[in-house]
Amino acid sequence: MFEIFKSMLKEEWRMHSNLFGNNGFSLFPGFIFLFTFFVSLVLPIFSEIFTYSQIALGMHYLFLLLGGMVGAFGLMDREFMNRRFGQASLIAYSSRTLPVSERLIFANFLVKDIVYYFVLYVLPFIAGFALAAAFIPAGNFHFPVILLLLLLTLSLSFMIGLSLVFFLSTVYAHSGKLLTSGLLVGCFFLLFISGNLDSRFFYSLPSLSFFLFPSKSQFLLSSGLIILPSALSLLFLKVDFPQAKKSFPNSFSRLCKEFGSYRYAAFVAKDFLDLKRSEGGLGKFIFSFLLPAALIWMLLSTLGKVLPALNILILFSLVLGILSSSMYNWLTEYDIFSSYAFFPLKVSDMIRSKLNSYLFLNLVPLILLILLTLKKDPAFLLPSLLLFLSISLYMVSILIYLTGLSPSINLYNGKTFALYTLSIMPLLLANIILSMFGSYYVLVNLLLIPLAFYLLGQSFRKWDRIESSYF
Amino acid sequence: MMIEVRNLSKSYGSTKAVNDISLSIGKGELFGLLGPNGSGKTTMIKMLTGQVKPTSGSLRVHGVNVLEDPIRVRELVGVIPEQETPPSFLTAEEYLHFVAKIRKMEQYEAACEKWFEFFDFKDQKNSLCKDLSRGTRQKLMFAQAFLHEPELAIIDEPLINLDPIVQRKVKDFLVGYVKNGGTIFISTHILEIAKQICTSIGIIYKGKLVYTGRLDDPVLQGRNFEEFFLELVSRPENFYTGLSTPAQYA
Repeated sequence: MFEIFKSMLKEEWRMHSNLFGNNGFSLFPGFIFLFTFFVSLVLPIFSEIFTYSQIALGMHYLFLLLGGMVGAFGLMDREFMNRRFGQASLIAYSSRTLPVSERLIFANFLVKDIVYYFVLYVLPFIAGFALAAAFIPAGNFHFPVILLLLLLTLSLSFMIGLSLVFFLSTVYAHSGKLLTSGLLVGCFFLLFISGNLDSRFFYSLPSLSFFLFPSKSQFLLSSGLIILPSALSLLFLKVDFPQAKKSFPNSFSRLCKEFGSYRYAAFVAKDFLDLKRSEGGLGKFIFSFLLPAALIWMLLSTLGKVLPALNILILFSLVLGILSSSMYNWLTEYDIFSSYAFFPLKVSDMIRSKLNSYLFLNLVPLILLILLTLKKDPAFLLPSLLLFLSISLYMVSILIYLTGLSPSINLYNGKTFALYTLSIMPLLLANIILSMFGSYYVLVNLLLIPLAFYLLGQSFRKWDRIESSYF
Repeated sequence: MMIEVRNLSKSYGSTKAVNDISLSIGKGELFGLLGPNGSGKTTMIKMLTGQVKPTSGSLRVHGVNVLEDPIRVRELVGVIPEQETPPSFLTAEEYLHFVAKIRKMEQYEAACEKWFEFFDFKDQKNSLCKDLSRGTRQKLMFAQAFLHEPELAIIDEPLINLDPIVQRKVKDFLVGYVKNGGTIFISTHILEIAKQICTSIGIIYKGKLVYTGRLDDPVLQGRNFEEFFLELVSRPENFYTGLSTPAQYA
């Protein structure tokens, strides 16, 4: 039992250090520590805007989301791992070749994820926060007992997110349709009630409640939310489920014809089919875009009630621009450049093609923003759209410059992630502050568009210089 | 000459993957680069197709300087890499159409159809590439390399994952292709393939080319090809280029 756990830990570390480079990856917890430390130092500014419990709310939901992301990556992205490492399978999927039951392997996988990511994310986060709390007046956060409690409750939030996603993946293994329809219903329900949602709803997350008002019942509820979904996942486990082989008529040629003589027609058509046909295609739109967008809108709406000075539509456009840039990650997950390296193509051709697909995908947030702005306040339509477009373009240009065709790999390099964060954080903070003084300040953001084009030009040259066999 | 390589070397850190190789391959040759695993065959192919830049040396493929214009080389040449598989979420037919679009071919439907018939897998043309067997994927990779009817094809391990019936078909195709004026460069560690179809061979060992010559080279006549190969790679100091004959092989 312990041997499997140890091997899985080693495997996870080696996989990451292989992908991101030993030095780059080992810097990552250090970077999280420093990042949290510096962000926490500016907490006194925000304490004028956010209350102690609102800051705690943000932290706990962040770790809930993080747990969910870790779980989703571990379970759903086998295809991604195969593309990166060939057919070398992870221990998690080796119940067919090892004389060990699937349940035992999965239980180890679960514990391994908790331990590994606790050390990687939770611990450096708390350590950075604790160090900063010693220097600043940060509500009750400077008491050692409170910090220890925070360490416990953030870990609980992380584990709740992880367990829930494991449970959802088990449901998916049995019936993908059941999961998709259930989640769609959930999303629509959340959107429907978003206008009338009481802010207390968000505080009902047991780990957060336990942090704010420690009680035995909240602790038990939190533990139940971890143990029950995990136990159900183990009970109804179906890791190596047979996947239906599907046939499709030739949609590629039809799509290409519709695009006409457009230069990147073939690539955009391929990207569209990748998204449509892959297991996580629709799921990506729901979980990585629509659901976070809905949550952010709800949070901002609640925040708008507390702080009327904040321009919610402008802030939402800003966050939507940042969120949309994650679509570039989706597009680059389906293939690596070495699959194209033997064709008459340069890396920059591939980046340009992904950029074209990215612009097409951005029509979804654009339409969402138009509808929302027209419903809430049409006067903000122009500034909202300008802000969204300039932020989205700037964000993707930074992402491309730093990570090329492999954002989901290169961004885990501590140095790259630090540069990425430094490129966006000041922009984010400046926009939040400026948004309080009116909406037409956003015109300043238009300066980001020529900067983005400059960065893209530099990116094409940079990534063409790097030997393609390393992609 | 279709391939001209002069003093080509490639180092990865302190490892010399390819070490000072010179080679010329003329039109109408079926050249086999033989060597054990890790001897530098794939690095050589990657350099020939401009995927990897050499540390030193020069190379021209199809009359084009690879270092100056690798894109032009890949336009002219058909390539089957060793490990790459077609994108997961396109069907087999869509993948060939995708390749045709990349290669800016105007008419390609008939050519694609021809390959489905040749390999007898028309029934799988609507299956997603990720669901195809390894052998069928290799057939698809083979089809994409010859779709634009290149005059030169560079193939890393051509028969990998293929069953004996298809292997035979492929071997016959390659021989026929060369007879019709095409040139083919294959790399393999399976000696039998080289013996059956190649017109000339090179043996690479630890990055060095330890033998080049034609299959009708007197030094190979009447010899067990496998023993010759093993003897050569076990004693690489017996460097032989086919230009002169060391005493022990005479």
